[in-house]
Amino acid sequence: MATITPTRPADAVPAGAGPRKRARRSDDGITGYFFLSPWILGVLLLTLGPMATSLYLSFTDYDLFDTPRWIGLDNYARMFSDQRWLRSVGVTVLYVALAVPVKLAAALGVALLLNSKRKGQGLYRAAFYGPSLIGGSVSVAIVWKTMFSDDAAVDQVLRVFGIETGGWSGNPDFSLLMLVLLAAWQLGAPMVIFLAGLKQVPKELYEAAEVDGAGPWRRFASITLPMISPVIFFNLLMETIHSFQVFTSAYVVGGPNGQPAGTTLFYTVYLFDRGFGDYRMGYAAAMAWMLLLVVGLITALLFRSARGWVHYSGEKS
Amino acid sequence: MKRFRALVVPVVALLLAATTASCGGSGGGGEAEESGGPVTLRFSWWGNAERAALMQQALDLFHTKNPSITITPSFQEFEAYWQKVATETAGGNAPDVMQTDFAYLREYADRHALYDLKKQEGKNLDLGDLIEGLKGAGEIKGGLYGVPVGGNTWGYVYNPALYAQAGVAEPKLGWTWDDYRAGSKQITEKTGISGSANPVGTYYNLELQLLQEGRSLYTDDGKLGFDKARLASFLADGKKMADDRSTLPVEKAVQIKPKHPLESDLVAGAGAWDNFLDRYSKSTKAELKIAPSPSDNPKALGQYIKPALLLSVSQKSEHPAAAAKLVSFMINDPEVGKIFGANRGLPPTNAQRASAQLTGPLAAVAAYEDGLKDQLIKTPPAPPKGAGALEQAFIRITEELLYDRTTVDQAADQFFTEADETLGS
Repeated sequence: MATITPTRPADAVPAGAGPRKRARRSDDGITGYFFLSPWILGVLLLTLGPMATSLYLSFTDYDLFDTPRWIGLDNYARMFSDQRWLRSVGVTVLYVALAVPVKLAAALGVALLLNSKRKGQGLYRAAFYGPSLIGGSVSVAIVWKTMFSDDAAVDQVLRVFGIETGGWSGNPDFSLLMLVLLAAWQLGAPMVIFLAGLKQVPKELYEAAEVDGAGPWRRFASITLPMISPVIFFNLLMETIHSFQVFTSAYVVGGPNGQPAGTTLFYTVYLFDRGFGDYRMGYAAAMAWMLLLVVGLITALLFRSARGWVHYSGEKS
Repeated sequence: MKRFRALVVPVVALLLAATTASCGGSGGGGEAEESGGPVTLRFSWWGNAERAALMQQALDLFHTKNPSITITPSFQEFEAYWQKVATETAGGNAPDVMQTDFAYLREYADRHALYDLKKQEGKNLDLGDLIEGLKGAGEIKGGLYGVPVGGNTWGYVYNPALYAQAGVAEPKLGWTWDDYRAGSKQITEKTGISGSANPVGTYYNLELQLLQEGRSLYTDDGKLGFDKARLASFLADGKKMADDRSTLPVEKAVQIKPKHPLESDLVAGAGAWDNFLDRYSKSTKAELKIAPSPSDNPKALGQYIKPALLLSVSQKSEHPAAAAKLVSFMINDPEVGKIFGANRGLPPTNAQRASAQLTGPLAAVAAYEDGLKDQLIKTPPAPPKGAGALEQAFIRITEELLYDRTTVDQAADQFFTEADETLGS
């Protein structure tokens, strides 16, 4: 079954570093640390150092030019009366609530279709996985925006069915939906993981159920879903975290102002605009830490809820 | 978590780079040398590949004439440029010579990021030949922090064919805001193409009206030069035109950004900087023309020559004399005028204007500016710190108004709240 290891790269390292031979422990230690040094330096200089600095800056009034001035919790307090911040939270939460289920359902659906043995299956899998390799890029976002413009591909197709939208990218009612669809289109990564999970489900269970007279829907609900629940949990976690941080597509489609009419003003877009547009780096740093806190909290809640619905094989509950 | 870190790391890494670097390099700014030894200058500007090719020609020419000075150029798009320059400046690592925009000039000057070029005037920097409207542009509190390399003025760019089709008289000096409103409405009704881009979305249209009334966007001490009621009436006017369908619907305007509606043949006219006539003409088959802005006050057109781009020298530059030489070369050398034409607005000096061989729309722009010579007013002082951000706020707020997400009064309130925050700090 899938593990959560990839989310915690730190775990992987001490495992390889543990010296076994007691006699030459100190030598081994030095050699070990020597080989680890690029990683340690990387963590100190590129991760922990910057994180500490940004934490410090989040308590200051820093505009990139003048020396940071300590203002305590002002940045954090100010967020709750900042209309644009509140809006960016609303947009982001709405997006997560829409994009995560849509994307996971699409990924699971495609995985189910691709699970059976059929000719050219490899080709189909590649075709569905492809978009997730390039999906986060600027060029795809531009193509997406163009496709959904007035009189462009999507508009023309919808017109055949008598639906007139006048272009999605300029319409506040559709702009977020357009980005949700872009996310769903990049279903490749969770799809591959679902596929791996589906392969693990023992065939006997289905056969036994069939003998008992269970139809396809019943087999899916009573066997497939519980059996792949750890994979669902993993994908749910990753997609939720990922969706909170959507930036490139939103920035390309909506720009720093979240056009149209602020409906695509995502949290990260506002964070970026605060920092590099308005030169309010302290505020932007505080926003980044707030996001970390909230995403951490939601992750913890998901883990808590998982006890109720995730079943690991061999586990007796 | 890994993906989260992938986002956070670059952001905080930038922050760290910015702070650590700013502790380290307080450059000595040695003005003593400059005895002619070899010097390397870093020069940053914003623009596209076309401008980069022209710039390289100009820089090669400069190097031929000043073999001891080598230039390392770099360029970005406008938005990315300001993000980069801001971090570089914060890190004490700003380029020696940089292109600046009028809206950002004071921001940088007030923060002591720019070198006072007055110190080089008459020595390595010759400003004598600047055209009348650009003299003194770039001066802030007695110091000279930017030298204009091009100038432009506001105007009304329009498609005469649509005016003829709708039977509306073409705009000309003396036309009023009522003419503009009635004409726009009639064009939409008769041709089916919007009579105008909505004036409410453009900050400079507000400035134009204020200048016509003898007021200004900003006061000399950097506050707003108008009150909430005045802004509300400007917004209400634009909203009404949108409701009348005299102007382009906002959802059309938004989705073609950053293209201008004139480029996509969506409108019959729009207020614009005159040098943009060239760009718009290149992307549409329609033949475009330019006329002065409408005004209700026959004595005040409200137009001035705005320094389109300026060249500034970093306060931390170790070679201010060589940098000043480069700036002087860029505005005075007739060859440079020939190379750029009006790529950066009409050239700033008489010598370069004479040598720039302007044809087509550029010749029309030159003729337009020439014809307005006596009408133009003095260039307002460089906008205060935060003006760049405030202009962005204005665009955002008016857009929400046109989308009916706010009312006129809410929009005016919101602008003043943001102005307080942006200009107050």
